[in-house]
Amino acid sequence: MARFVFVVPPLTGHINPTLSIGAVLLQRGHQVGWITLDPALAPKLPKGGELLLIQYEETDLEKQDSEKYLDIITKKIVYGIDSIKFLYEEVLIPLNRHSYEGIAGWLDRFKPDLVITDHQMFAGAIAAANRGYTYATSVTAPAAIKVMDELPKVHEWEMNQVIALQKEFGVHNETSIACSGELTMVLTSKAFFGEMELPEYYRFVGPVIHQRTEQVPFNWAKLNEQEGNKKILLSIGTTFDHEHKKSFFAKAIAAFENEALTVVVVSDPSLFEQWPSNFIVQRSVPQLELLPHLDAVVCHGGHNTVCETLTHGLPMVVVPIAYDQSHVAGRVVRVGAGLRLNFNRFKAKHLKEAVAEILENACFKQAAVEISRSFSEAGGTEKAADLLAELAKEPVIDC
Amino acid sequence: MDTLDSTTKLNSSEIFDLMKQFITEVIGEEFVEEMEITMESSFTKDLEMDSIEIVSFSEKIKTHFGEQIDFTGWLSNMDLDELINLNLGTIVNYIEECQ
Repeated sequence: MARFVFVVPPLTGHINPTLSIGAVLLQRGHQVGWITLDPALAPKLPKGGELLLIQYEETDLEKQDSEKYLDIITKKIVYGIDSIKFLYEEVLIPLNRHSYEGIAGWLDRFKPDLVITDHQMFAGAIAAANRGYTYATSVTAPAAIKVMDELPKVHEWEMNQVIALQKEFGVHNETSIACSGELTMVLTSKAFFGEMELPEYYRFVGPVIHQRTEQVPFNWAKLNEQEGNKKILLSIGTTFDHEHKKSFFAKAIAAFENEALTVVVVSDPSLFEQWPSNFIVQRSVPQLELLPHLDAVVCHGGHNTVCETLTHGLPMVVVPIAYDQSHVAGRVVRVGAGLRLNFNRFKAKHLKEAVAEILENACFKQAAVEISRSFSEAGGTEKAADLLAELAKEPVIDC
Repeated sequence: MDTLDSTTKLNSSEIFDLMKQFITEVIGEEFVEEMEITMESSFTKDLEMDSIEIVSFSEKIKTHFGEQIDFTGWLSNMDLDELINLNLGTIVNYIEECQ
């Protein structure tokens, strides 16, 4: 039996895979903790998982504002390459700087055999290195690595932000230590990721699909009300603000109202006073239960939704907004599993045409099914748990 | 049209037209019709191109000019701020100088 600790940022897409891997480790009799800033993670943890909440002394004024880091990513309208600057300068670096001491403190109390840190939660890697713990890295947004190849200077800029933070905390390497040289698990398959030379400690374990434990009610009767209708899901994820949603869904309404489609929308229903009668609008949906009943997905290119969609062998239209989503969309197009639209430029008719095309032309679905096969071959959750358990067993050599 | 006689040098207005053609191919004719593309147009702010579109635009330049111009090398040496502020004029000048 070993002690594992995950270090996660307050970002749903980065947390969910750790919950699945952690659940498997717990079932195998290990002890697992999650270091986080977000107290709301507690009810989502698998049975037996420990919440290790980063908390600072009340007197330490600077450190009391943990809350503001929880939804910082939703606070600004960002688009395109600009968003990478925002992501690092205003989200990741402040978040990691704020979290460092809390993480280091928990490592000393929990004394894990292995730390598993998110690739964007580099404070976890820095703390582990400084306190002498072995760590592995989980790459929950693999397109971020692909940037190395496509826009190397952008990647270098990103790494320089990380290296500067490392130095603040006494790690004087001239390279980023965010991705562990022992084990860096890339949560996708090579077939989807694309060709790229990477060191051998990068292991492609496939996406880790998270079976959410909470029951989300859904209007199943309405889904099957119109016989013969194709069914599609529209979602732009959890991190984009009101304006983005309003502009996106307004176009979606114009594209799909009065069409022979049943459209499931993930959105606050109050976004518009009225939705077309063929729309089912819910703030959240049981996405994994829903996907087997659908014909296609329209999304923003968040890694988790894309992977869940491909796992179910469904074609998609990707409308990337920011961060690495443009690259994710590029991969979807490259493997032939879907089409992409430009978020700012597309009009209702483009969305309508793109969806019609992926529904009518079987080659998109076939390509999605092939990627789905590559995902299951990569091993997923069990494989990730195997690799972590193996690494935790290795004796730590003091140097 | 896509192959270039290596003895012909393009002047800046010809390069501009060629770039406009590439932009059109990347983002689609109907969108370009609604835009005013000038030497000052920036890729990120004005043309709203995202990183994948910029990468595919640069591949077109590479295909067209071949070894004559190391465009992808030049582009990949840009840091984040340069890339955010990159405008069409900078590219036209670069190509003109390289010929």
